[in-house]
Amino acid sequence: MSVLKHNCDPDLLKQSLSEQLSEQAEERLIAHLDECKSCRQQLETLAGAPKDWSTIEEALKEERYADTLQWSDISGSENPIPTDFAVDFLLPSEQADSIGRLDDIEIHSVIGHGGNGIVLKGYQAELKRLVAVKVMAPALAASAAARQRFAREAQATAAVVHPNVMPILTVHSDGSLPYLVMPFVDCESLQQRIDGSGSLSVLDVLRIAHQVASGLAAAHAQGLVHRDVKPANILLEKRINRVMLTDFGLARAADDASLTRTGLIAGTPSYMSPEQARGDVVDARSDLFSLGSVMYAMATGRPPFRAETVYGILRRVTDETPRPAHQVNAEIPLWLSALIARFQHANPDHRISDSETAAELLQECLAHEQQPAAFELPITVRQMQAEAGRKKLLQKMVPYFTMPYLLIAVLLVTVSVLVLKPDINAEPANEAATASANWESDAQGGTLPTGTPESIETASDAASERSESTEVPGPKISASESDPVSDPSEIAEASEAAEVPNTNGNIQLGITQPGITQLGITQPGNTQPSNTQFDWGDDVSDDLDSLDFELQILDMQLNDINGPSQL
Amino acid sequence: MTLPGTRHSLIVRLNKQHQPSWFEFAAVYEPFLMSLVRRCGVPEKDSQDVVQHIMIAVTKSLDSWSDDGRPESFRRWLNIVSRNVAIKFMQAERKLHAASGGTDMVAVLNRVPLDDNAFAEEQQKQYQHELIVWAAHQVKSEFMESSWQAFHDTMIQQRSVEEVAKELNVTAGSIYMSRSRILARIRKKLEVLQPLE
Repeated sequence: MSVLKHNCDPDLLKQSLSEQLSEQAEERLIAHLDECKSCRQQLETLAGAPKDWSTIEEALKEERYADTLQWSDISGSENPIPTDFAVDFLLPSEQADSIGRLDDIEIHSVIGHGGNGIVLKGYQAELKRLVAVKVMAPALAASAAARQRFAREAQATAAVVHPNVMPILTVHSDGSLPYLVMPFVDCESLQQRIDGSGSLSVLDVLRIAHQVASGLAAAHAQGLVHRDVKPANILLEKRINRVMLTDFGLARAADDASLTRTGLIAGTPSYMSPEQARGDVVDARSDLFSLGSVMYAMATGRPPFRAETVYGILRRVTDETPRPAHQVNAEIPLWLSALIARFQHANPDHRISDSETAAELLQECLAHEQQPAAFELPITVRQMQAEAGRKKLLQKMVPYFTMPYLLIAVLLVTVSVLVLKPDINAEPANEAATASANWESDAQGGTLPTGTPESIETASDAASERSESTEVPGPKISASESDPVSDPSEIAEASEAAEVPNTNGNIQLGITQPGITQLGITQPGNTQPSNTQFDWGDDVSDDLDSLDFELQILDMQLNDINGPSQL
Repeated sequence: MTLPGTRHSLIVRLNKQHQPSWFEFAAVYEPFLMSLVRRCGVPEKDSQDVVQHIMIAVTKSLDSWSDDGRPESFRRWLNIVSRNVAIKFMQAERKLHAASGGTDMVAVLNRVPLDDNAFAEEQQKQYQHELIVWAAHQVKSEFMESSWQAFHDTMIQQRSVEEVAKELNVTAGSIYMSRSRILARIRKKLEVLQPLE
């Protein structure tokens, strides 16, 4: 059935290779690949000729046997064993249960590590308290600018005092490796919670989101934008229901050092806002988008934007709207799904205006969820729900009210043809036809404007999608049967090949004067002295653009703390 | 990227129409050299210097380019020059190791074939190998770990798609998809540097 529903379409295969398909289209295609052998073969041929497959395969196999040692450190993107540097860094301790000493802190164990550095568990004897120490990675510490930023951002964060923001006790930025001291909290990250138990209950979604929004509000009030709100940076204290936001803007410390690394793309930008993914200026509302994405992940158990590569995710973040949460998880009420979508609105102006409003709204929703009888949903949320409901209804209705119209149209045509042909009862029949035509246009005029312009668009989109999908199978099959020679992929390839000289036209200087070059009378490089003038501007700005983009990616990538992070 | 001086002299020397080709090439060639130089055993602290020297050698030979009238003349020429310079470097490194008389000197000598043509062929093969390994590493970091795992297990370890799909808890279709995407990306990386046959 699904083979029939999804046609073998070479264009689709081509688009999928360069990650141009929407998530749904890609899912359909992958399901199709499960069953369709010929499409699998075609996809592989599109990716590379059999010779390419075999040369690459052989080279990599050989490499596996030859020197597996260098396999991991050649690109420079992987970190060396991350705990190694901590050993050199610590001073010997006199305590038996300590692995070393860091100024006045006895270090007991390693809590976690990531691209940014390492988190250690320690004890301050004088103050009799357990602390978590985050030590900057040596690679980052080598950059003076990164160290400065680390200190600046840490100081800014230390100024945010709020129960939902992980406090910073001290900052040491002048030692060999800068480090931060925070209270030790027995916790797990939201990421670990989602990985472990999948989607959370509506109550938990609201409770956690509310606390994160409150923490954000405290930071935003001081002009601090987090820039990296994601489940790994949200800590859930064990036993009590407190949520703490951590790693405030520390990602910014990473990008200076990253200048020295190039071509490095890793990590996941799944929780970025579209403006951030584009590299535009971000403000507090960017954090609200990310909070929406975190809510989405809690509600559905998966990040809103997924793709195989960083590029693919960035493209989805900027170009696509995630599938509504209630469609992924049926237990999510429509109003929550609509609320999440409002956080995740592509246009910052259409999101909830600020984090304080967001926190209030979430608190009211939480009250409603806990005691529906005593507390109504906030009116703004009810409006969102109503809007989403209209859309949903309209989408459902599409097949019902387009089909009768089609039938009526067909009937009208047949009736009028049949009736008009004899030419005897022409007048009354015409009247009848116009009357029903009027009725039809009235009906259309009456039904459609009730929705918002947006919902009308969606409805007609859905309608055209449907009609497309029903039309596809017929012509495709007949085309391939009747004309086996004209393979569409061949045509596409041929036209591509024809275009090649154009795209590379700038290289083929000689072609503009073929006679001259062939005779060897002049050197093409010297024939047009005006061309030797150079233009710094474009290249430099291009370079800066790509650098910006790289920084953007590194920014979040280097901040990607795995494991049970304190930071 | 690290050579503003070289860039500037190139911009003077290069015909404006070839600048984009050069930049595209250099942006890929330089990181490749970085990895090549390290793999040839040059210590980390010297690698940047060595790469600069190789880049300068390539840019110096830009003077000798002339259009042969066929498509992609500049690019083909660039790829051949860069390959030859890189091979020269590999030879020099090999000699250096041999002269220092390490324990694997015998192995190095044994590896050098007698016939000159065969030697050149072996070196070109070696260069090609280095290119592929480098490109694969670059691409690896672009993809999700599970995608690369699927590619690695089915292509390099030659395990069946069904088995790996089960192990990674993904569908066979998604493995076919990932594999093709990864291969296409590796090819794309190679295209910029590979001399056309």
